[in-house]
Amino acid sequence: MARAFRATTRGYRADMETYERRLLSHLCADVISMLEARGQASGDDAATAPEDGFAHFRRELAGLGVDIDGETEESGLEPPADAALARLLPDASGDPAEAAQLRRLSEASLRESKIADLRAARMALESDPVSLSEEQAPVFGRALNAVRLTLAARLEIDDEDDAERVHQMASGSKASTTEEFMAELYTFTTWLQESLFSAMLDVMPDDQ
Amino acid sequence: MTSAAGSTLTQEGTELDLQRSVLHSRPYQVVVWNDPVNLMSYVAWVFRSYFGYSRDKAHQLMLQVHHEGRSVVASGPREKAEQDVTAMHSYGLQATVEEAE
Repeated sequence: MARAFRATTRGYRADMETYERRLLSHLCADVISMLEARGQASGDDAATAPEDGFAHFRRELAGLGVDIDGETEESGLEPPADAALARLLPDASGDPAEAAQLRRLSEASLRESKIADLRAARMALESDPVSLSEEQAPVFGRALNAVRLTLAARLEIDDEDDAERVHQMASGSKASTTEEFMAELYTFTTWLQESLFSAMLDVMPDDQ
Repeated sequence: MTSAAGSTLTQEGTELDLQRSVLHSRPYQVVVWNDPVNLMSYVAWVFRSYFGYSRDKAHQLMLQVHHEGRSVVASGPREKAEQDVTAMHSYGLQATVEEAE
């Protein structure tokens, strides 16, 4: 059984069983794959190719970028259809046109920063105990949050009642279904994240 | 930066700049929305560490999100507000940018 995060003289530390660290690392890897697949589907490769000063021109040439009226089409990135991706990469505006524009500007870098967080978390999970410096702690915390958001989407947690339902499911006897297992993982990552940020808030100076 | 004393032209320019910055200083706001997943401690920590808010202010904003469903956590020029929203997304919070009323 794991011992939650607590502050140490050099950061934060949690004692976790080997299987718990492995499981969490796998979950991080799953979220990374999901984000990478989204990147490939959105044509990140084309966007990052170094030679391409003509991408915009070629898109127009291919008839992509201009609609029949000659107005610029809101092409490119549609909001993710998948519930978990939609939680990780949400719209930045209530106005759909505005949201589409902001998504084109920022989604790729947002995806990259999340992938970087999750990779760093996997590295941290290689060591026993899991020790985080002050600098690593927020990164690990963000990765845990991405995992929680993903599990929550799969468990269809849309309101506080759903959250309670999942909590009840997890506190039952040994998990026998995938959903019950996911509920246990959700509760576990929630508990870890809560302990980490409570410790971080305690350490944070009042005048910051 | 050099002194502009005695130069009417520069003063006018400065006044124009000032007007422009006043015009654009508060038109956009960063709204954070409630959701059943993000932890209260986490949300408060994000407000403190990212915006540099005091313990009390961060706690107050977090409670506003929790009880009222949303809270305007910052406002400013459009680009800055958009940057803040992306930052909130990087922490996994649900946030949008909107024009101030």
